[in-house]
Amino acid sequence: MSDHSHQPLKLAYQPALPVPNGKTCVWLFLSTEIMFFSALIGTYIVLRFGAVAWPKPHDVHLSEPIGAFNTFVLICSSVSIVLGLEAAKRNRAAEAKGWILVTFLLGCVFLGVKLFIEYPAKFAHGLYPQSPHSLVYDKADIQYAAAVRKRLLALRAEIEPKNPRTPEDEQKLAVIDEVSRDYLEPAETEIRNNPDSPQGLILLLKLAYAIYPPQYGHEGALESAIANGFETTPIQLVSFLEETGTAESDEHDAGDGHAHGYNDRNPWLRLPIMVPGGSLWASTYFLLTGFHAIHVFVGLIVFALMLTMTLGRNKAALIENVGLYWHFVDIVWIFLFPLLYLF
Amino acid sequence: MTEHGHNLGERLEERVVDMLADIPPEHVDVHGSLGKYLLVFVALCVLTTMSFLTYTDFWPFKDEKHVTWAFMMAVSCTKAMLVIMFFMHLLWEANWKWVLTIPASCMSLFLLLMLVPDIGMRQDNGWAWYSRQRWLYTADKPAVQASDIEALDKKETQQHEPSSTL
Repeated sequence: MSDHSHQPLKLAYQPALPVPNGKTCVWLFLSTEIMFFSALIGTYIVLRFGAVAWPKPHDVHLSEPIGAFNTFVLICSSVSIVLGLEAAKRNRAAEAKGWILVTFLLGCVFLGVKLFIEYPAKFAHGLYPQSPHSLVYDKADIQYAAAVRKRLLALRAEIEPKNPRTPEDEQKLAVIDEVSRDYLEPAETEIRNNPDSPQGLILLLKLAYAIYPPQYGHEGALESAIANGFETTPIQLVSFLEETGTAESDEHDAGDGHAHGYNDRNPWLRLPIMVPGGSLWASTYFLLTGFHAIHVFVGLIVFALMLTMTLGRNKAALIENVGLYWHFVDIVWIFLFPLLYLF
Repeated sequence: MTEHGHNLGERLEERVVDMLADIPPEHVDVHGSLGKYLLVFVALCVLTTMSFLTYTDFWPFKDEKHVTWAFMMAVSCTKAMLVIMFFMHLLWEANWKWVLTIPASCMSLFLLLMLVPDIGMRQDNGWAWYSRQRWLYTADKPAVQASDIEALDKKETQQHEPSSTL
């Protein structure tokens, strides 16, 4: 029997989690980001450890000290945002804003180092993630020689019609002629005359080493030769590398510890380079660090927006949530740094 | 009160802010303190230096790359745990944190278990795509016999003759 006198039922919802909605949503978002970066890192692991050859850091101008510095910068920014959160919880708005500003500036330093120091170092040597910008070939074979020839022809077509030519143009033409006469043509001639002889392959490798020599002395040269199908470094090339100073890389380099080839001495040349595993390396490196950099950039946008607010106690939840995202970005870099730089 | 317009989350958040407003500033967060955060920061710097150590000449295991990798991964996991537990505050959160952390850990463990035998253990024999068992027990492709070649030749010539069945 219904009783019409009672009030409507008072229903009280139980919270599923004792956490504000914003925080729950950020954690859910972070779990999707974990899946996202796990996919990318898993891909990198599979490709790198399944690859026949993989370049070492100096082969691709990867600098571990700069990576370590970036790691340190991100760790400091994590600390500063935690301190900003604590300040906001205590309703000290000016202090909180100061810490958020520090975090923002440290994030800018990270991105600045990446965009203005690290990436240009790769781009200057022709290491891009994609053709046609990328100059990277994995093997010194006929296609590589054809690409070198194509580039030399394009350079000639650019310089030769000039009338009058400057001394720099003459110098450039001299270099082009030297590469062509001393390295490209002997290799192509030998391959054409004796297609199956190993001498042709050795000359192709010599062309590649003249343009972009292997780093790390004898071991680096050996690994590079093995990746090109040889069992040991060909004897002619051992003496060639020692002559050009690349085997020991102490006396003839320009002082930065790198063995230099034609591409280094003549930055305008930009001939195709042979880096075993270099193409895959470039793809995975730029993919991983690029996506990470995009995440850092998004975080910086949010920090910039927060700097326009008064960060009192009522904004503590916002800072906490943004901080969770920022810590996650830091954790991803903590894993990326050894995987990309130190392995 | 039949007011379902304000959702529960917002009411909860207001309740939390109110609670915080009543607490004197010193007692806002009993867990995290400046000292603890700085200690974690120092630990992170030390760990970063340790992982960078593998790049320098002081690293004694330069020739054993598996030791180096295991060490670097251990250092990375420790750093990540420190950030998660202290900076992301998960050490002091309630039991809902297990809902997050256990599936994520299961996934990482599964990733490792999948990748190590498939890729990691197939490096040293130079034939990356055959496991040792497969290499040992795979059947040899039989050599083409002379009789097979004759049979193939016959088949070809038959196909070129005009068919006489119509």
